[in-house]
Amino acid sequence: MSATMAPTGDDLQQIAEQVWASYLDTDGEKPLVPLPPDKLSRDVVAGVAVSGAWHGLVLVACSSTASKEAAAALLGMGADEVSEGDVDDALGELANVIGGNVKSLLPEPCTLGLPEVHNDADNDPWLTGDEICRFEATWMGEPMEVSVLEKPQGGETE
Amino acid sequence: MSLAAHEFQFVSGLVRREASIVLEPGKEYLVEARLLPLARKAGLASVTEFLLRAQSPSGRADRDSIVDALTTNETSWFRDREPFTALTDMVIPQLVKARGPARSMRVWSAASSSGQEPYTLAILLKENLPPGWTYEILGTDISTEMLARAERGRYSQLEVNRGLPAPLLVKHFTRVGPEWEVAAPIKKAVSFKRLNLAAPFPPMPTFDVVFLRNVLIYFDVETKRGVLKRIRSLLKPDGWLFLGAAETTMGIDDGFERVVTGRTSAYRPRTGISAPVGVTGKG
Amino acid sequence: MVIDDSRAMRLILRRIVSGLNFDVVEAGNGREALDRLAELEVVPELALIDWNMPEMNGLEFVTAVRADKKYRGMTLMMVTTESEHGQIVRALAAGAHEYVIKPFTPDAIVDKLVMLGLIPDGAHA
Repeated sequence: MSATMAPTGDDLQQIAEQVWASYLDTDGEKPLVPLPPDKLSRDVVAGVAVSGAWHGLVLVACSSTASKEAAAALLGMGADEVSEGDVDDALGELANVIGGNVKSLLPEPCTLGLPEVHNDADNDPWLTGDEICRFEATWMGEPMEVSVLEKPQGGETE
Repeated sequence: MSLAAHEFQFVSGLVRREASIVLEPGKEYLVEARLLPLARKAGLASVTEFLLRAQSPSGRADRDSIVDALTTNETSWFRDREPFTALTDMVIPQLVKARGPARSMRVWSAASSSGQEPYTLAILLKENLPPGWTYEILGTDISTEMLARAERGRYSQLEVNRGLPAPLLVKHFTRVGPEWEVAAPIKKAVSFKRLNLAAPFPPMPTFDVVFLRNVLIYFDVETKRGVLKRIRSLLKPDGWLFLGAAETTMGIDDGFERVVTGRTSAYRPRTGISAPVGVTGKG
Repeated sequence: MVIDDSRAMRLILRRIVSGLNFDVVEAGNGREALDRLAELEVVPELALIDWNMPEMNGLEFVTAVRADKKYRGMTLMMVTTESEHGQIVRALAAGAHEYVIKPFTPDAIVDKLVMLGLIPDGAHA
C-alpha cells in the first residue's frame, strides 16, 4: 500500500473523536482523552474485517468496565442495566462505524464484514496481522484502543 | 489536578475573543481534558505550566493551539437557513435585474470564522446566478487561526453532516483523506483577510451584500454604531445587510431600514440619507 | 421507518426520531422493510436507511421504492458509513433524497429534517 493511502494514528484519533462526540459523549461530559493509558486491555475486542482491494481488520479494544459504559452510553441505559448482548451490539456497532470510516482511507473498492466481538482476546488467533496504525486513549479512566491490522491477501478462507 | 478559577477565566476569555465561543463554568474538566495533551506535547508536566506559558507575550502559538483544541463544531452550513433563503429568493433575483450590464456580484462575510458562511454564500451564488455572471466573496475575521482554517477549506465529516444538503456536498466538495475540501471553483471565488471590525477599515471596495451575523452582540453600543456606520459606507445604495437572528440595527443606526422577507429581516441603506460611496471612492 | 441491521443503531435512531414526535417502524434489512411497508396502512413520511445489510441492501431498497408510485410521498434518507464521494453520488442517483454519514450527532439528523421540511425550525432531538 502506498504511503499516501495508509491510514495513520492521527486519522484513527480523528475518527474516534468524532464517533465519541456523536454517540458516546454528546454533551461533552465524558470526553475521549487522547492520552495513552497506563495499561491497555483486551477484555473486549470488537472488529470488522475489510476485504477487496485491501485485507485486514479494524479493531476496538477496551476493558470490561469501558465496554459496559460504552454500551450504556450508546443505548441510553444505565451501566448496571447493560446485558452481554447489549455490549456485543454496541461495541460491534462502534467497530462498524469506525471501520467504515477507516475503509474510506483505504484503496478502493473494499467492503466491510459483519462485526465480531471477542472476549479476553489476548492470544486470540483472530488478531493476527501487521499493525498499520493505532490510537490509544483513556475514557472514563479506562483504556481504549483502536487499531488497524493488515492481513496477507488470500491467507485465510472466508 | 483541577483547573483553577483564574485559569478557566483565561481560557474562556481567550476562546470567546478569538472564536466567539462561550464556555460555561462547570466545563473545567472538559477544558482540562482538551488541554492536557497540549501540555504533554509541549513537554510540560501540567496544564498550569502550559497556561502560564500561553499567557506570556511569546505564547501566541500556544494560545492558537488552545483555541483550536476547544473549537467545537458549533457552526453549521446555511446557519439559521432563513437569510440564505432570502438571498436566493429575493436578493439575488433583485440584484440580477439591477446589475444587468455589470453581471457581477460582490459579497462580504464579515465574521467568517472557520469559513462555512463564505463558502455557503459562494455555493449559493454559483447555483443561482445566471450563466455569464462573476462573483467574489470576501471573508474577514479577527482571528488569524480561524482565517487559516477557513483558507484551507477543509472540514470534517461531522462538520459537513450539519445542514449541508447532500447534493451540494457531492457537487462542491472533494474528499481529502478523512476530510472534505471545498472544490476549486468555489475556493477560487472566496478570499480571506484579517480585519478588526471595531477599528477603522483599510481601503475596501463596495459590496452588494454583507453578512454580519452574530458578531455585533460582542460589542458595546458605541462600537456597534461605528461598525454599522463603516459597513453602511461600503454597501451599495441598493445593497443588503444580513444580521444574526436575534440582532437588529434598530435603535443603533437609523441609516438602515428593515425589510421583512420570508421569515427573517434584511437591512438596506435608507434612501434619502447620504451614503458615501466606499472608503476609496471605488464604486 | 428505521432500516438497519444493527440493533444498536436502530435504537439510537429510534430515540432521536421519536423525540421529534415520529412513530417508528423498524426493519433489519431492505427485504424486511418492503414487506413491512406493504403491511402498513399509511406510507411513512420518512425512511432512514442503512446501506450495508443482508438480503437487500439500502441502495437496492431505495431503487425498489422509487420505482413504485405508491411510495412517492416517502422521503428517503441514507444513514450509513459509506462515505466515499462516489457512493453518495450513487445513492442520490438511485433516488435517495438525503444522506447522513456515520457517525452523526442528533443535531445532524435534526438539521436535515428541518431542511427537508419534515420538522419545524427550532425542533430539538
